[in-house]
Amino acid sequence: MTRTISLGLRGALWLVMSACIWGAFFYAWSDPAFVGQSSRILFFHVPMAWTSFVAFFAAAVWAGRYLWGGRQMRHDRAAATAVECGVLFGVLATITGSLWARIEWGAYWNWDPRQTSIVVVLLFYGAYLALRSAMADREVRARISSVYALIALVVTPFFYFIVPRITESLHPEPVLNAERTLDVDPRMFQVLLASALAYTVLFFWLHNLRARSQALIDALEDDPS
Amino acid sequence: MPSPASNWLASARAVFTKDWRCELRSRYALNAIGLFAVTTLVVTSAALGPAGTNSSLAINVLPAMLWLILLFAAAAGLPRSFVHEEESHTAIALRLAAPPSTLFVGKLAFGVSLLLGIEALVAPLYLGVMSLEVASPGLLVIALVAGGYGLAAGSVLIAALASQARGRSTLFSVLAFPVLMPLLLLAIELTRNAVAGDAAGPALPQLLLYDASVTIAGLMLFPAVWNP
Repeated sequence: MTRTISLGLRGALWLVMSACIWGAFFYAWSDPAFVGQSSRILFFHVPMAWTSFVAFFAAAVWAGRYLWGGRQMRHDRAAATAVECGVLFGVLATITGSLWARIEWGAYWNWDPRQTSIVVVLLFYGAYLALRSAMADREVRARISSVYALIALVVTPFFYFIVPRITESLHPEPVLNAERTLDVDPRMFQVLLASALAYTVLFFWLHNLRARSQALIDALEDDPS
Repeated sequence: MPSPASNWLASARAVFTKDWRCELRSRYALNAIGLFAVTTLVVTSAALGPAGTNSSLAINVLPAMLWLILLFAAAAGLPRSFVHEEESHTAIALRLAAPPSTLFVGKLAFGVSLLLGIEALVAPLYLGVMSLEVASPGLLVIALVAGGYGLAAGSVLIAALASQARGRSTLFSVLAFPVLMPLLLLAIELTRNAVAGDAAGPALPQLLLYDASVTIAGLMLFPAVWNP
């Protein structure tokens, strides 16, 4: 029964993601304010950036649950896995962003505040993964890396809200902010929303698979027989 | 019977004086930070000459250089404060003797006083060798104090994490850089405003916000770092 449901969910995700890819190229409108068809990358770039944000936030929540929710290893595994997925989506968002920047701004990289922010955020979580690999004891590793994942809640808001305001940014306004939603073409908005939803579900699926395999690895290390 | 608050303060003060006493016996951090700062100062000065006389260099380059010198000086000395507790196996005794929040506050006070002392030495020397004229010296002092506090607070918190892992000193820089990056950007901006004689602008409240949030995060998270 659960097998059927899970197969159905995976099938639905496949259908929605395929529909998003088709919709991004054939259904949605291309914004003439940008060079050529370059605005279509929005349907992939924005959901990737959004998913990495969701993943990092989920990692902090799981880290907090580890520290104050009875120190259960599964919460630490969930936090670490969420960071791994978040880094994956963050790197993809950076790559798609710089491809777009090459077309629109003329250079792959020009230290726009958004680019600075994503690099520092990725460095932060790269450091998290380095920190984990530097500790052999599982309890110590879980405790120390959970603290580091929670420090992100203090530091990253400065990059989301403050650094972009000190220096001028050329990055387009976030599409989903209050006043711009009225401006956005409804078809563009539908595809973007569906795509963001699909990527979020994809993240939770990847996360689930990876956390389960990590649980098996841990169990095998404890009891190799 | 002393009140809990005065007990807490006494305990934090004991950690602070213990750290300074250990430091004055070995002078490890003072030597490491002081010599590191002076060496980098000599290198930058030899490479740039009296750059302060060129107003575009003075505003765009020199404030960033000053904070880079301070960042690397802090990274050279501050992690020691926790690493030596692990190396000399005194961490267990310290866990028994002091509650974690007083330990954090004591170590923080030690780190802040050390870094402010180094700044008091390095900043005038830097202004001198670079012939840098500062339009609003008061704002520069505020930038150095607020920035130095945040630099020390962030470093102490990260040092506590890094001291639990292998390859501590390498790991410290990797862990600390992303955490200290917003602080450095804000402190450089504020120093630039001080040199140019501009108003403090939004960078000052943001810098104070960073200091406050790192302190609160440290107080909340440090017990989890320290106690198994």
